[in-house]
Amino acid sequence: MKNLLSNNYLLLIIRFSIGFVFIYAGVEKISNPNEFAISISNYRLFPVSVINLFAITLPWIEIVAGILLVFGIAVKENSTIIFSLLFVFTLAIVISLFRGLSIDCGCFGKGTQIGLMKLGENLLMLVGSFLLIVFGSDLQKLKLE
Amino acid sequence: MKINFPKIFFIILVSIIISLIYNHFNPNGLNLIRLEKKLSWETDSLSSFETKDSLFVDSTLSEIKKTIDTVVIDLKTETIQKVEAFKQPKAIKLDLAYKLFKQKILFIDARSPEEFAEGHIKDAINIPFYGSENYSKTISDLNKNETIVTYCSGSDCDIAQLSGEELFEMGFKRVYVFVGGYNEWTKNKYPISTKK
Repeated sequence: MKNLLSNNYLLLIIRFSIGFVFIYAGVEKISNPNEFAISISNYRLFPVSVINLFAITLPWIEIVAGILLVFGIAVKENSTIIFSLLFVFTLAIVISLFRGLSIDCGCFGKGTQIGLMKLGENLLMLVGSFLLIVFGSDLQKLKLE
Repeated sequence: MKINFPKIFFIILVSIIISLIYNHFNPNGLNLIRLEKKLSWETDSLSSFETKDSLFVDSTLSEIKKTIDTVVIDLKTETIQKVEAFKQPKAIKLDLAYKLFKQKILFIDARSPEEFAEGHIKDAINIPFYGSENYSKTISDLNKNETIVTYCSGSDCDIAQLSGEELFEMGFKRVYVFVGGYNEWTKNKYPISTKK
């Protein structure tokens, strides 16, 4: 099982998938920062005054981490950033679901509502980024194989 | 599993610097500190609304008496354009929503087509917030000077407000957001319909 999970081709696929998802998510949010700020405020978890700071910085952290991940630069470090972000996002979704909120997720700009499906997607990416933290993924290992 | 934490700190710091620079030069950029933006409640009784409306009807009628049909149409259009526009969508409670309903004001259901089919406020039309892109024809067919009321299931959903803000940005001048939504409407046994 460990061999399967640490398979370099699998890790490469995970790295590309998560990297591109984060680049896409970041770009969508940057294209309409106000919409993203509204989405954050709808979670009703943070004071209004800090929401814009999140809305300005979060998408760029996603994009930079996503790009570095795709290019295989500092994989473990970027996976840690992405894992932490996903953890916070998932927690926010769980809390909102428990509170019975029916709100826009804000994950990829406008368009997806929070729900179990979204939760599943996030958990899958959490597992993926955890594998990248543990095993890393670099091209040199692939070449050696 | 060796993680270089200073590297993480550096990546985040660089991202934050890029984001602040980008935001500074972005014409759609945000203020660093967000000021609380809440929908203002429509506190005025609808009497002012009714007066405006009846004035409009009266003046139109008098114009009809005085002038020929074509001129009336022009005047009508002009009068409609003069209808006072809101600065932002206004939140309303059940009593006001019902008054507007009785005045045959257009209600827009922002919920999904499935929820709409299960039951909606009588004579409301469905423009789901999720997927409103597919309803651009319905939206463009509406008169933007007309007063509209958006609603969703109740105070726990945000799509009535989001939808209201979206329509307001599209050029609708008088947008009300009925906060109590469909749940409060049905609780009071006000008219509903299940027709599509």
